[in-house]
Amino acid sequence: MTAPDLATSPSLDPDGVLPARRRAPLGRLLRSELRWIFRRPRTLVVLALLTVLPVITGIAVDLTFDGAAAPDPTAGPGPGGGGPGEGPPIFVTMASSAFVLPLGSLMTLLMLLLPLTVAMASGDALAGEQSTGALRGWLLAPVARGRLLLVKAVGVLVVALVAATLVATSGLVTGLVLSGTDGLVSMSGTQLSVGDVLWRLAIAVAWATVYLMAVGAVALAISASTEHPMLVVVSVLGGLIVSGVLLQISALDWLHPYLLPTSLASLADLIRDPLAFDGLAEGAFRSLCYLVIGMSLAYARITTRDG
Amino acid sequence: MTAGGGAPDTGPETGTAARTALAARTRGLRKVYRGTVAVDGVDLEVPEGAVVGMLGPNGSGKTTTIRMLLGLVQPTEGEIELLGAPVPGAADRVLPHVGALVESPGFHPFLSGRENLLRFAAAEPFLSGRALDGAVSAALERVGLADAARRKYRAYSLGMKQRLGLASALLVPRRLVVLDEPTNGLDPAGTQEIRRIIAELHAGGVTVLVSSHLLAEVEATCTHVVVLNEGVVVAQGALDDLLESGSPALLVSTPDGARAVDVLRDRRVPARLAPDGVRVDLSTTPPATVIEVLVGAGVGVDEARRERTGLEEVFARLTHDVGAGTGAREPASERAGERAGAGADR
Repeated sequence: MTAPDLATSPSLDPDGVLPARRRAPLGRLLRSELRWIFRRPRTLVVLALLTVLPVITGIAVDLTFDGAAAPDPTAGPGPGGGGPGEGPPIFVTMASSAFVLPLGSLMTLLMLLLPLTVAMASGDALAGEQSTGALRGWLLAPVARGRLLLVKAVGVLVVALVAATLVATSGLVTGLVLSGTDGLVSMSGTQLSVGDVLWRLAIAVAWATVYLMAVGAVALAISASTEHPMLVVVSVLGGLIVSGVLLQISALDWLHPYLLPTSLASLADLIRDPLAFDGLAEGAFRSLCYLVIGMSLAYARITTRDG
Repeated sequence: MTAGGGAPDTGPETGTAARTALAARTRGLRKVYRGTVAVDGVDLEVPEGAVVGMLGPNGSGKTTTIRMLLGLVQPTEGEIELLGAPVPGAADRVLPHVGALVESPGFHPFLSGRENLLRFAAAEPFLSGRALDGAVSAALERVGLADAARRKYRAYSLGMKQRLGLASALLVPRRLVVLDEPTNGLDPAGTQEIRRIIAELHAGGVTVLVSSHLLAEVEATCTHVVVLNEGVVVAQGALDDLLESGSPALLVSTPDGARAVDVLRDRRVPARLAPDGVRVDLSTTPPATVIEVLVGAGVGVDEARRERTGLEEVFARLTHDVGAGTGAREPASERAGERAGAGADR
């Protein structure tokens, strides 16, 4: 990679500020991309929403518990049993705990809202940039197409990671505020240490990020083929809904292992003690398959599309 | 970028002569979008240091040609050489030397003009990290946006947006600047500004390729012209030559007009009286012969010059002639050009 002879033309670089290189450093491109993503109002709005939802859930569950606990003495059976009309208080206590609240929030939001967040970021990354003409700007700079996809994919990855971390952290903090370290109990009934809980939540966030990146890769493939970011979000939404419906049809059992949302159930394994990794590993592997296929399609499309 | 390492390096060596002469060259360039021909057999030559105006009606293939030239669109057939290197093969090597404004510049409303420009500056290979800020400021200054640099792009007028796009093309010193319809949406003052910038670039030895459908613009700023119609180059060359070829007539100033007309008509050269002399039709006789005949007959000649018509007339003639001349082309070819424009947006 010697300096191109064109750069040695005498008319160039009178001030000596032009290094003779062929491409901008990757770190600079990534910083620029991340600055753009996190300056974008809609990113901030969605991330704020994702942070607030576990808080609302925690408070709602806590209030329900308080409301249910008050009439308990008059109702008879006592706090442990629970009548048929009211939820089992043990579950309620757990649900606002610093362990179950973040994990439960993550599981709930992974069904729709988190994938849509990633789909939105992916849609903006290529389709949105194409529609404004910015993609052409990159190609003319020039940024090679593969490199451009890499930068965009890292941007989506960071959004996925930040979103999952925010949900887990917000749930954890809310749980700690509402219940302190009470209710850090596994499904098997064993008491978990705070360190153990944090470790399990870290696994949950990492696993969720891989899952979201699988969605992101498919979304990037769609994003590379259109210039309507909305189409990307709608496609992902449609895909998730269709997958959800297919998962309900037991006659299609053979199909279920190929559907991405099949993996979601395995996240509940993190509540078990001892930890069962089989389901999580299978889910992560499924996500990686989607990731590879999605990124390959995105690469094939971005390298051939007209700028 | 992997392709940039080996083979293309031999390109500039073999084409040294062509490189000094031409900043951009295409051979038999052709682009077909789903069965419709957008550009067909374009042999474009952009001399180094020239300001080349690319003219043509809407949908004549101007933008498609420019996109292929810049390696954004893969041609169906044909070769492209940009600054002596093949495109798209060596695009990563030559594009840093090329500034371009093609259609919408791709800025975001929630960022200021300066931030938008910084985003693109970050991708410029020739700018070092510490040179970014300075380059952005200089570019903003150059297009007259220094005062509005901190305002959100959302609040920019159409003309300011266009100028910001121009600034992004001028972030680093370029050898070739390609501007696609740069005066779109600009008021007369803005148009004047673009004219000034093009003149500055020209004075600095930069080659400029500018597409436009504003003939007056091209006539005022360009040294060379390429006329495209229905995807075909119908004329190209120095602006002066083109203007003269547009009107095969010689204006001869002479005190003895009536006699001059008689002498010329005797030699079967069509001529008629004009203010201050005679107007001689050159379609059958070269100008030298006309002068020779007149002087030989003792008619005093004060001045003789080619009659120049406006570019508008030449353009109208060229684009109409070709419509009739290439009747063999499919009748849908007019729509083909339109479709090409739409296809390019995809």
